[in-house]
Amino acid sequence: MPHAPAEQLRPPPPTTAPSPRSGPSLAAGKKRRPGAARAQVRRNLPYVLMVLPALIIFGIFFIIPVIRTALLSLTDQSNHSRETSFIGLENYAEALTNPQIVAGIQHSLIYAIAVVVLQNLLALPVALLLHSKIPFRGAFRTIFFGPAVLSVLVVGYLWSYVFSSNDYGLLNTVLRGVGLANVNWLGDPNLALGSIIATQVWQWFGYQMVIYLAALQTINPDLYEAAALDGAGRWKSFCSVTLPGLIPAFQITVVTGLISGLKVFDIVISMTNGGPGYATETVLTLMYRKFSEGNYGLAASFGILFLLVSLLIGSLLLRVFRRLETRFS
Amino acid sequence: MTTTAQRLPSIRRTRRRTSTLALICLIALAILVLIPIYYLIVTTLKSTTEAASNPMGLPSTLDLSVYVDAFNRMEYPRAFLNTFLITLGSVAGVVALGSMAGYALHRKAKSRLASIAFLVLLSGLMFPYQMSILGLYEVVKGLGLMNSLLAVILINIAVNLPFATLLFYSFTATIPRELEEAAGIDGAGVFRTFLTIVFPLLRPAVVTVAILNTLSAWNDFMGPLYFLHSRDKQVILQEVYRNIGQFSIDWASLFPMMVLGVLPLVVFYLILQRYVIGGVAGSIKG
Repeated sequence: MPHAPAEQLRPPPPTTAPSPRSGPSLAAGKKRRPGAARAQVRRNLPYVLMVLPALIIFGIFFIIPVIRTALLSLTDQSNHSRETSFIGLENYAEALTNPQIVAGIQHSLIYAIAVVVLQNLLALPVALLLHSKIPFRGAFRTIFFGPAVLSVLVVGYLWSYVFSSNDYGLLNTVLRGVGLANVNWLGDPNLALGSIIATQVWQWFGYQMVIYLAALQTINPDLYEAAALDGAGRWKSFCSVTLPGLIPAFQITVVTGLISGLKVFDIVISMTNGGPGYATETVLTLMYRKFSEGNYGLAASFGILFLLVSLLIGSLLLRVFRRLETRFS
Repeated sequence: MTTTAQRLPSIRRTRRRTSTLALICLIALAILVLIPIYYLIVTTLKSTTEAASNPMGLPSTLDLSVYVDAFNRMEYPRAFLNTFLITLGSVAGVVALGSMAGYALHRKAKSRLASIAFLVLLSGLMFPYQMSILGLYEVVKGLGLMNSLLAVILINIAVNLPFATLLFYSFTATIPRELEEAAGIDGAGVFRTFLTIVFPLLRPAVVTVAILNTLSAWNDFMGPLYFLHSRDKQVILQEVYRNIGQFSIDWASLFPMMVLGVLPLVVFYLILQRYVIGGVAGSIKG
């Protein structure tokens, strides 16, 4: 990446925001002399060299793949024929009309939203409780966070056994024990996605709880005192001090939760493999399927479609949070 | 006066009652969290019939031969080593590249090129890389890295760099420039100064990045699934996956594999618990 030349070539020296330590020669002279420029380059070179490895790796393994995928999505490349031709937006047309793929996109969205909402409903109150003077706080924290270190794949296999409708299924054994009928948790198309969501709430609420706990600890205790002096009761000081203090953490759990929810893959592979029918297929499981079948162009197209969706959701959320923050501060 | 004096103990009593109620709720939740894990472990020690007739009880005999069997069938030492190398390489790479980039970008934040570079890296936070995995497949193939651990390591580094860089960038802001200037006067170059003075001060961020990446690299399944094809290169989770594909009914031999699959990280967590939780908590400082 030709950093240094690019800077020299730019016609008028770009309002050279001088770094605090840039030499007097730069600050004084309006016109950049070649010697001064070279000195500046030499001063900046170590910094450029420190950023460059990160940029190169990120470029090769992140940016280029995105571009390649976008290009691929405009072709009919597959391993069924040797010829590849440009077919414009045909893959996108197919992706948006194929009921299976549309369902996959819906499932990913439902999954992401449901997991985020349910996790927060559990994580926030638990964090508030553990932040108060309750006994065994450390032990509770360790236990609740625990499932987050387990592999999602293994958690999926474990829960598919617990949910099983066979005789050994733990959950159904319990249901029968209290006199209820068996439920086909993973075999019923209406329940399967919900069962998957439940396992991920189980696995990750403790992780979000830790983030809320960290945020609670950063709230300045003086604020509570000030609120108390203003005559605020417990509920009022909760609303005016605790909640605003939690907004940054809330933002993190929602944004990262949604984005990682959209890429749900391991848990579906291990619990239902997309079934029954395609009741639990998600974007990434379908992509893997199309990829395994050799339909590369098509697989690429809904990757790109979904990338756009996640970008849209991400920027929308950031805007919402910015508004929330200005309102509370 | 008398009314407040009378009211106070009753308030205290209700407060104690609510906290007892809260404690009961937390214990119930803890049991709910622990039951599946307990179940996983005790089931591995029972025969299939015993597991069906007495699912929650402790096993009647202690038979570890199933673990030996699983250990052999998973080619555990080899799979463990591959997983370990991938995790180590990813963590080292993300910490090294992320800390250098975050530091340099912060110190040159006023330059336009630096802010563009920063924005480019941050764009990686906005979308999941998995969406462009087909393009990634082509790139890896083009570079001749298919079926090598290095491919998975480099991908992990690229994917996790944006967040790491952001965290190191924010952390660099807390380090006074005067320290570096003093070193500069002593004749140390930028890189030397970074290594000897700045990097040690970045330790909390290093812990956070290292912990988060250890968890994600060790538990990564999709990367190896796409890029590691021959068995000698595969990771622990692929061994679990392979065996479950083959013996989908034979849960008795599966459960020990699942335990062996999660055991290393569980041990890691139990030993370094404070750092793991602290590391995750540190992620909100980004």
